[in-house]
This record gives sequence, structure tokens and C-alpha cells, in this order.
Amino acid sequence: MYGRKACQLVKELASCESEQLSAYNADLFDQVTRECSTHHVELQTLIRKIQDEGLDTQATKNPDHFGALIHHLALVRNKRCLMAYMYNRADIVRSLRWKVGPVLPQEILGKLNFSETEYFKNHSAALDSYMSEMELDLTVDFVPPKDPYIQVRVLDDIGDVLLSDKSANLAPHSIHFLKRTDAEPFIAQGLMEELAN
Amino acid sequence: MASAGSEDGVPIDDYESLIGTTDVELLKKAWRHEKVAPEILRFETSLVQRSREQIQLMEETVEEFAQSGVDPLTVSLYQMDLDRTQFLLRSYLRVRLQKIEKYMFYILKTDLWNRLSEQEQKFAKRCTDDMGKHLDQSVLSKLPEGYKSILKQSTASENDDMIPEPKLGTFVICRSNGDIGTFELDDSDGVPLELLVGDLNILRYKSIKPLVESGQVDLV
Repeated sequence: MYGRKACQLVKELASCESEQLSAYNADLFDQVTRECSTHHVELQTLIRKIQDEGLDTQATKNPDHFGALIHHLALVRNKRCLMAYMYNRADIVRSLRWKVGPVLPQEILGKLNFSETEYFKNHSAALDSYMSEMELDLTVDFVPPKDPYIQVRVLDDIGDVLLSDKSANLAPHSIHFLKRTDAEPFIAQGLMEELAN
Repeated sequence: MASAGSEDGVPIDDYESLIGTTDVELLKKAWRHEKVAPEILRFETSLVQRSREQIQLMEETVEEFAQSGVDPLTVSLYQMDLDRTQFLLRSYLRVRLQKIEKYMFYILKTDLWNRLSEQEQKFAKRCTDDMGKHLDQSVLSKLPEGYKSILKQSTASENDDMIPEPKLGTFVICRSNGDIGTFELDDSDGVPLELLVGDLNILRYKSIKPLVESGQVDLV
């Protein structure tokens, strides 16, 4: 049946948990684009047939006309599905810049196609140039700050560090009460975790 | 941010209205509106400018206090104030960028474009270019002739029918700032709604859009 494969593609997208990326389904995607080409060939053949019979392509309402219409509509529907698939994936790809950072880990990169990887880099650069023009880093401060101090647990051996108000020995697994602004860079690098109150 | 210093000698009655017009309150309002409204609103150029100057001033003050040995509690209160303002500003700019990302093609072709700041316009331009390139090479180049447009489904479409638009019909919660009187909603079958000061209503964004823009109602 026409359009079934495209529908599967969109269903794949919809069945994913929101904001989760599934691996790019190149195989199914290519099948749908091939289906589009077939529709186009059939459509052209029917239109040529109408023209060969010397009929007006706009006004004729014979079986060939409706056949051509079906192919056109199937093609347009496939296009919408393909675009929806790519566009919604691009949404998630963009959100990764906010959530993961400018460099994606290998397990995520493996799920993207070539163009998506490139898109991520370009979009990331666009965001970076906005932030440097504004002279403001927008990738920090995601939750409203409650307290200037937070409790953190050190995950990696950081060693002796001079903080803004004291020096501290940040040994692995030790728990500290630090200024949020001091702790944030360490948390972002994955060297510390914040302890929930 | 501390509004201290300016309310000396002001009667209590004026205190609330004074607090309500400090830049922090205005920034908070701009941020709240931007978060609630489905479409992008006008960029608060001068407000953002002023807030940034105040943030810088605060940073200097905090540093000065910390060095000159002012009570740590006072310093930490100032720091907290500063942190909160910075969060507001960052979040405000972030929410706007996310709207631009979402509706870039729509913004680019409508007069919403004029609501963006200069930097946001540059960002939006790059966004659409990158997105266009990505969709082109991954989808559109593989489609047959006549179906390659990013804005139209096919050459048979008269209008651009492939552009994601903000849903202006979403419901928002709003509070009236003054007695607006009777107001005709466009989906209430001619039954006018009376808006009194302080009234809380849940209405469709598009029907109260002019009131939001003129500041007669606040989104909450």
C-alpha cells in the first residue's frame, strides 16, 4: 500500500521516548525516497498519456487523471513524513547542544547520519557566536539558584584547589560545602556531583 | 536585585508600586511573559542593557565587600541576589533562542523578525541557513523535481504550507492590570467578557494578544 513505509518511519519517531534519539534508519528512509521516485515516474507517464490523447490536463476528469492525482498525493504525503522525521530529529539534535555540550559522546554520534552531525556542528557554532557577541554564557544556570552554597561530593581526585573564599583538599568521595559558582565548573566537567538536600 | 537606597522616605503606599517598577521586577515580568506566550515577543533592548549594567555593578560591589571584610552574611545575601538576577537574564535570553530555533522559518518571513535583537537576527539567519542546508542534503535533494521546496509541499501549492507556526490558540493564564471593561473574545460567540482589575482568567492567547502587547493584562 502506498505511504505505509513513510508511516512506519514517523511511527518510529513517535514511539521513542520524548527527547530520546533512535538510530537513524537509513534503510527505511531510502526505501521511502525510492517510493517517491516511482510515484513521480507513474505520475509523469499518466500525464503524458492524457496529453497524448489530446486532452486538457486541467479539465479532464478521466480515470488517468485520478490515477495521477493519487500518485501526486502519495508523493506529497511521503514528503511530509520524510520531512517530519528529519525535522523532529533535528529538534532533538539541537537540544543536545543545551543538555550535553558542544562535544557529543560516541554513542550519540553513532545514531546520527552524516548531515545531522554536520548540522549539530554548524548550529553549535551559531549558538557560540551569539553567546560571544552577547558576552554571556547561556549554558550555565539552568535551574533557579536557591542558595549560594551547595553540598557536593567529589567524584574524581581533584587535589588541593584554591577557591574564591578558601582553599580545599578535594579528595575523591569527600563531601564539601562550596560556593555554587566555585562548584559549577567541576560539576560540568563531571568531577563532582551535587547532593540533593 | 537590591532596590535598597532608593525607597528612603517613601510612604508605604508607594512602596509596592516602586518595587513593581524596579528593573528586576520588569525583567521578571518580561521573562514570565516570554515563557508563557506561544510566539516570540518584542526584545526588551533597554531593559536588558540596564540589567547587565546593574549586574556588573553588583559584581564589583560584592568583590569590594569580600575584600574589605564586610560581614560574610551580607556578602552572601548580595551574592544570592546577583545569582538570581543572572539566572533571570540568562533564562530570558535562552527562552527566546529556543523559540527562534523552533519557529525560524515562520519568524524569517513574518514581521516577527523585527521583534528580535540584532544578535538574535544574526542567530536566526544562521539557524535557517543551517537547517535549510541540512534538510536539503538529507531529504529534499532526493525528491523528484517539483517537490524540492522546503516551504511548499509541491509546486502545486499556492502558499507556503510547510512552515511550523506557533500555536496562538493555546490557553494562557492572565491577570488584568486595571478595569478594562467588557472585551469581545473572538471565540465566545459574541458574548463579551468583563475584565476587572486583578481578575484571573484562562483565555486563548490570540484573543488577548492586543491586551498583552499594550500591557493591560499580565501573563502568569
